[in-house]
Amino acid sequence: MIYLVSRAFVALLFLCTLAGNCLGAADYDQLFRQSSDLMAQGDLDGALTLLRQVPTPAAGEEAGPFVSSRMQAARIHAAQENTDKAIAACQEVLKLFPDNSEARNFVAALREQLKPGWHTVLSDTLRFLPSLAKGALMTLMLVFCTMLVSPLGGLLLALGRISTLRPVSGTCWFIIWFFRGTPLLLQLFFIYYGLPSLGITLPPFTAAVIGLGLNYSAYLGEIIRGAIQSIDHGQMEAAKAIGMSYSQAMRRVIIPQTYKRLMPPIGNEFIALIKDTALVSTIAMVELMRSADQLFNTYFNITALALAAVIYLVLTTIFTFIFEKIEYRAGIYEHR
Amino acid sequence: MSIANQPLLKLENITKRFKELTAVNGVNLEVSLGEKLVIIGPSGSGKSTLLRAINLLEEIEEGTISFEGREVGYVMRGGKRHPDRPQAISALRAEIGMVFQHFHLFPHMTVLGNVMEGPMTVQRKSAEEARTIALDILEKVGLADKRDVFPATLSGGQKQRVAIARALAMRPKLMLFDEPTSALDPELVGEVFDTIHTLADEGMTMIIVTHHMGFARELADRVIFMESGNFLAQGTPEELFSIAQDNERIRGFLNRLL
Repeated sequence: MIYLVSRAFVALLFLCTLAGNCLGAADYDQLFRQSSDLMAQGDLDGALTLLRQVPTPAAGEEAGPFVSSRMQAARIHAAQENTDKAIAACQEVLKLFPDNSEARNFVAALREQLKPGWHTVLSDTLRFLPSLAKGALMTLMLVFCTMLVSPLGGLLLALGRISTLRPVSGTCWFIIWFFRGTPLLLQLFFIYYGLPSLGITLPPFTAAVIGLGLNYSAYLGEIIRGAIQSIDHGQMEAAKAIGMSYSQAMRRVIIPQTYKRLMPPIGNEFIALIKDTALVSTIAMVELMRSADQLFNTYFNITALALAAVIYLVLTTIFTFIFEKIEYRAGIYEHR
Repeated sequence: MSIANQPLLKLENITKRFKELTAVNGVNLEVSLGEKLVIIGPSGSGKSTLLRAINLLEEIEEGTISFEGREVGYVMRGGKRHPDRPQAISALRAEIGMVFQHFHLFPHMTVLGNVMEGPMTVQRKSAEEARTIALDILEKVGLADKRDVFPATLSGGQKQRVAIARALAMRPKLMLFDEPTSALDPELVGEVFDTIHTLADEGMTMIIVTHHMGFARELADRVIFMESGNFLAQGTPEELFSIAQDNERIRGFLNRLL
């Protein structure tokens, strides 16, 4: 009741003070509609002029239209990239209603825009880094598990391939042929989505390590076989001549000499592995790539992807460095 | 001639074929304990193949090898020859030292490591024991001061002496030398020759395949001239050199070498 009375009073007041002006019966709805139409026609300045006509409310007076008009004006100014005027419009609201969260957030956002670009990137970085770091940790876990599994698998496949027992060499040939000849993505899908239909359901991490492990074992198998066969045949004869068995000769004489030759290609494989782990994001694993993708889809912020690229580069650089050191150490006996 | 009465090594009708080529053609040979046998002959005459057949690095098609009176290396199964069990073959090789033309030292091990490897890995001796044996033998070949370096830093002559030490560390009953000086620069031949000579003087039984006439002249009890897989002539150095006067092929071969 009081509301209606006050409304009528305001309307009366307006009619008196703004006589001749077209704001009949304080019909702000009409005004907002007109300004929207003007905006739709692209006449932003016209819309602003209309919105300006909503006066500052007196104490106790209905403030809704005023706040709406000033915020709309602020948005238009912001769209025109006139940040100062946009902030000024918000501050008109804040002068009367210091707690208005819409105006405050908008000012904060506008002030954020006024800051230099690196500042935004920095704050984004700080915001994204925790979840990216978690993703990177998972990537590293995958890499380490695969790095433990695949050299062993590769060595077994290599020894199997050069075995004189036909069934053994045939089986190893087949495994290498299959896992080198099909896409890793397909193998991961088969292990994670396909095996359940055979009654084997694996958690994503296990499935990822098995997939990556088999795939990299196949590649390393061929690399290790090549390295073993590149060792001078005389080494095996010399080892046998002092009475060593085949396995003793392999373990003590042949395989240790392959380490130096193995390091460059294995380093290559493991650097490829760091990036290949991104593929396991397709089987419900949240690692670095997936984390970056989630952030990007949430914030539409390219910084997340750029950060992921930087983290991948840091990881590959560290690995390159480590493998160079190992290669040097493994070949130390060749240095005079 | 040799002092021993029972042959340490006895080869009967050894035949080795590589596809069309018969590398060793039904050779018979007895080597007594302490005997120093030198086999000479042109390249491709089958002498290296014969040597490698003795410690079973080459599989022979026919014949028998007896070591210390036991037949070794092959078993008859279902009327067919098969190589013996790997363990038996390894056990035989552990008793026969072999030195290769190209040394084949283990490049990833130090000099000491190379010499210790046999006693440690094959004979399962403790590291200290193997080390004592190895140092003792390195002393003997005059390379104790090189014990901690890798083979890549050694000269050819030094490498070959380490290879001899590596074989000796197994305390072999028979030493096989496959052209031990052929890959060496002429000025390095002497040190290897002296090392083998010392070993011969100590009574080691050895078979040396070589082009180096010094071995035949100075340390051989018996010299065999081999050609096309056959023994063409054999005898003491004096006998062989006198046979050479009459045999054009041997004379021609020796003249080319001298």
